[in-house]
Amino acid sequence: MTLVAVLIPLLSALLLLVAPRALGRAVVLLSTVFTLLTALALPQAGGFERPWIEPFGLYLSLSPAGAGSVLVLTAALVMLPTAFYASFVVRERTGGFLALLLAMQAALNGLFLAQDLVLFYVFWEGALVASVLMLGIWGREGRRQAALKYLTYAVAGSFLMLVAILALRPLSGAASFRLSDLLPATQALPLGTQLWLFLAFTLAFAVKLPLWPLHGWLPDFHEQNHPSGVADVAGTLYKVGGWGFFAFALPLFPAAATVVTPYLLALAAFTAVYAAVIATAQTNLKRLLAYASLSHMGIVGVGVFGLYLAGLNGAMYLLAAQMLSTGGLFLISGMLYSRRSSFELSRYGGLAKSAPALAALTLFVTFASIGVPGLSNFPGEFMSLLGAFARNVWLGGFATLAVIAAGVYGVNMYQRLYQVDAQEDVPDVRGLELVALAPLIIGILWFGIFPHPQLSRIETQAVRVRTYDAPVVATPAGAPVAAPATAEPALEGDDGH
Amino acid sequence: MTLVSVAAAAPFVALLGALINGVFGKRLREPLPSAIAATAVGTGFVLSLLAFFGLAALPERTARIPLWSYLQGGAFSLELGFVIDPLSVTLMLIITGVGLLIHVYSAGYMHHDPGYSRYFAGLNLFVAAMLILVMADSFFLMFLGWEGVGVCSYLLIGFWYAYKENADGARKAFIVNRVGDVGFLLGMFLTVRTFGTLDIAEVNAAAPLLAGSAVVTVLGLLYLLAACGKSAQLPLHTWLPDAMAGPTPVSALIHAATMVTAGVYLIARTAPLFASTPGASAAVAWVGALTALLAAFAALSQQDIKKILAYSTISQLGFMFAAVGVGAYWVGIFHVLTHAFFKALLFLGAGSVIHALGGEQDIRKMGGLGKHMKVTGTTSLIAVLAISGVPFLSGFFSKDAILAHVYTSELIGGYGPLALYGILLLTAVMTAFYMFRWYYRVFAGQERLTASARSHLHESPRVMSVPLIILAVLSVVSGYLGLPEFAFPNLISGWLETPTAATFRHPPLTTEWLLIGLSTTAALLGLGLGYLRYGRRRESTKTETPTETTTARAGVLGRASGSALGFDAAYQLLFVRSGERLAQGFRDVDEDVVESGLRGAVNADELGRSVAQVQSGFVRVYALLMLVGLAALVLVVALARVGA
Repeated sequence: MTLVAVLIPLLSALLLLVAPRALGRAVVLLSTVFTLLTALALPQAGGFERPWIEPFGLYLSLSPAGAGSVLVLTAALVMLPTAFYASFVVRERTGGFLALLLAMQAALNGLFLAQDLVLFYVFWEGALVASVLMLGIWGREGRRQAALKYLTYAVAGSFLMLVAILALRPLSGAASFRLSDLLPATQALPLGTQLWLFLAFTLAFAVKLPLWPLHGWLPDFHEQNHPSGVADVAGTLYKVGGWGFFAFALPLFPAAATVVTPYLLALAAFTAVYAAVIATAQTNLKRLLAYASLSHMGIVGVGVFGLYLAGLNGAMYLLAAQMLSTGGLFLISGMLYSRRSSFELSRYGGLAKSAPALAALTLFVTFASIGVPGLSNFPGEFMSLLGAFARNVWLGGFATLAVIAAGVYGVNMYQRLYQVDAQEDVPDVRGLELVALAPLIIGILWFGIFPHPQLSRIETQAVRVRTYDAPVVATPAGAPVAAPATAEPALEGDDGH
Repeated sequence: MTLVSVAAAAPFVALLGALINGVFGKRLREPLPSAIAATAVGTGFVLSLLAFFGLAALPERTARIPLWSYLQGGAFSLELGFVIDPLSVTLMLIITGVGLLIHVYSAGYMHHDPGYSRYFAGLNLFVAAMLILVMADSFFLMFLGWEGVGVCSYLLIGFWYAYKENADGARKAFIVNRVGDVGFLLGMFLTVRTFGTLDIAEVNAAAPLLAGSAVVTVLGLLYLLAACGKSAQLPLHTWLPDAMAGPTPVSALIHAATMVTAGVYLIARTAPLFASTPGASAAVAWVGALTALLAAFAALSQQDIKKILAYSTISQLGFMFAAVGVGAYWVGIFHVLTHAFFKALLFLGAGSVIHALGGEQDIRKMGGLGKHMKVTGTTSLIAVLAISGVPFLSGFFSKDAILAHVYTSELIGGYGPLALYGILLLTAVMTAFYMFRWYYRVFAGQERLTASARSHLHESPRVMSVPLIILAVLSVVSGYLGLPEFAFPNLISGWLETPTAATFRHPPLTTEWLLIGLSTTAALLGLGLGYLRYGRRRESTKTETPTETTTARAGVLGRASGSALGFDAAYQLLFVRSGERLAQGFRDVDEDVVESGLRGAVNADELGRSVAQVQSGFVRVYALLMLVGLAALVLVVALARVGA
């Protein structure tokens, strides 16, 4: 079942390259529907493992346990309507675009489920290739420049990671590149070695997260992508830097993580506020969304780097949830573009009069995005900030200020698009657009109202990270109560290997 | 399923109403959306009544209704659940009771509005969120309702979104409230850090053990910040006057009777926490007293029929803050109750006038309406007397209880109680004064109507006037729930009182009577001064309108009052302008410095050359990295093979 989650989109992508045009949409629909069903069944599925290149210690090892399956699920929930919608709105070389979209999903599922580091790297770069091609071929006028910039950042980042991955086995003496073999071995490495390896991973993940000041590629990436917003959605799903830290860098190098995460926490807190503030000053819808998304990633970062289970769980939850809300907003940006042929906010205004349903949908997704409780992003945002606050009151408190800036850019954006006087009438939401947004709306509500099952699944994996959480003390009533925050972290003594 | 736990259905029924109107609204013909919405709220009211009677029969006076597990992170976990106790039931009755009357009134007020069903969807959604806020058993769920009512407030202030003023008012309310929300969030983070839980009952039980510690004080101050945002207290009060852009029944329900009292509720709900920190409690009381004074001062010279009431609401909320600040938690809620009736009545009366005059809101263009609108005029007069604190009406009892408790508080030391008492007494005089002005300029004296308003003039239909009459009755009788304790039976204090560390002196009986005498004097003095200032001149001059504007122009005080001490202008300069400049600065830095700096880092030689060359530098670097990466891969694979 786990392998199927990767194979369905991969084989469908290949099929699209040879299938006749007329069948393209059916292939896409079947592929994304079955991937979603597979994703829903993942919690019950077992892992998959086959030797790949045994002499090198490489395994095709996939596991649905933990946070990966949550991310696969939201990615599938987003990809289903997005790919279907794309089959209508991407009119140039549609087949190739759809194939890339599905290939991207296959690579994403792979990198969320991979338990072998080299396999992870292959999927990681595979997704990069797909997203660069989408930008480079289907992007707007400045696509070449944006794609080059994106590629430079990404390759510069992941190159060192590749070196570090390959160095892991010789250095640690692990039997294979599987996490199960690597984890005990790398955790025993001396601090100095851990630090170098951790920093190499950090560069790759920080570019992808992205963290300030490595985010330069992001605004151009979104501004120059296909105006339907579909490629931006794919790009949103691919913001997996936080996942890299959570699943690999932190568990592999706990001693280094303890030393470096305070700095990363500071950078992430800064990114969260800085990006949200810049978003308030944007006049271009897509750049506004790009910076808003960057701010969310900063909050994912503070959750991860806080090294508390609450924050780690929350960060992964936010990573999954923001796929729904940010993805939804990018799709809406494309819908607006199809009406006005512009992303400049000054070209809009008063649309609520002629398009009330689209206005309501936009406002709903915007509220989800800026973290209104009861909708998808809030549980993750809350827990991320909670974890960061537990680690460091000032940095966690500072990151919380992003909430104000988010309120500002959220309602300002809505006002400029939909309120005040109308310039000209536009058509209200079309059937296809409603179909595209409906699964996201359902997902936003579902993730906003019932986060507990997913959080529990995430936690089974989060415990791999060495955190500052005190052991659970059960009170007589049975309710767990955290030990006082003043208690010294449990892992302080492990640093000096 | 006990009688009490059926109340858990109340917010969901309201939610269902919102859903029906929100999704299918376009297909529903006019009376139907209001009927659905009113039914939903009416059901909520019945459920609340059942809970009330069920609770009265429960010896422990509190019931917990668990919902579902919500958050999980290591030792921290959170279950959603409702708590039904005297405090939450009282608020539920206010929300659904006054809510029902306002829904009915709205059916007439919003008649023929193109957004009819959208309006009722928003109103029902608000009721649902507000019920969740007061029924929540954890800070977290309370925050869900807290932001939920903020969202509904935003939606309904900006209901007529085509006007910039309305959209701006909605935006301002949302953003200012978000500032308060950050206080709530940080308060919750610190609560978890300190107590390991967000369960309010557990925190209330544990807080007294940390009494007097800095962390409890900081917690109190953070929750105070949250309360200031939602309840429009200094320094976050500026959004409420602008919120008057919303339809008037919305102002009555959200911005007078219910939502804005959430801050008072938060403090009353966490009474043991606040009673453990005299520092934070004093801050609450002082914020309340100063806000009461400032807002009453601003109300003196407003010319908009609703803005006067908005400042009056801020001022009355200040009274409530003063009450909960000095530890008189039940008194604060008592004033929430009476205020809900007479302030909702005032707003609905104002709405009736605006409706009758075809949208006119300037009191300089009103006057003498009492004889044309008998029901509206009479009920408004009752509300004016009630809010002024005229004896035997509801406002008198609750305001007097506040003044007496402030005076006798032992939670705040030194001359604090005396100073607070003085400020509030002065404010009480001002309240009676500006409310007299409001009433007189609208309903009595000369008619100054424009021709179009005059042609439009009519008494409101029954669907609007019946709620007015019911609210007027409640504005009279509700005070008798809380007669002065020293001499009379007091029903509400025993019902609402939570055991806390806050205590009060028991002065001699003569002092108690003297305090009542002072309250009465304040009310009558204010009304009398109002009569001297506005009432007596009615025949003396034909040019009343210029007289008032001239006075306002002449006096420094008048100008200060008219601009509410210039907070808006100051904030515009301090936060809005400088915030925008900061954001633009960040944006420019981000687009230039960071990028070119990175380009420089990638290839120092290219720095300062043309963009094209920089790009070619990128290409080269990229190609080089790919090459090196490939080489490394080959090398490592080769090494591994050797190793194998």
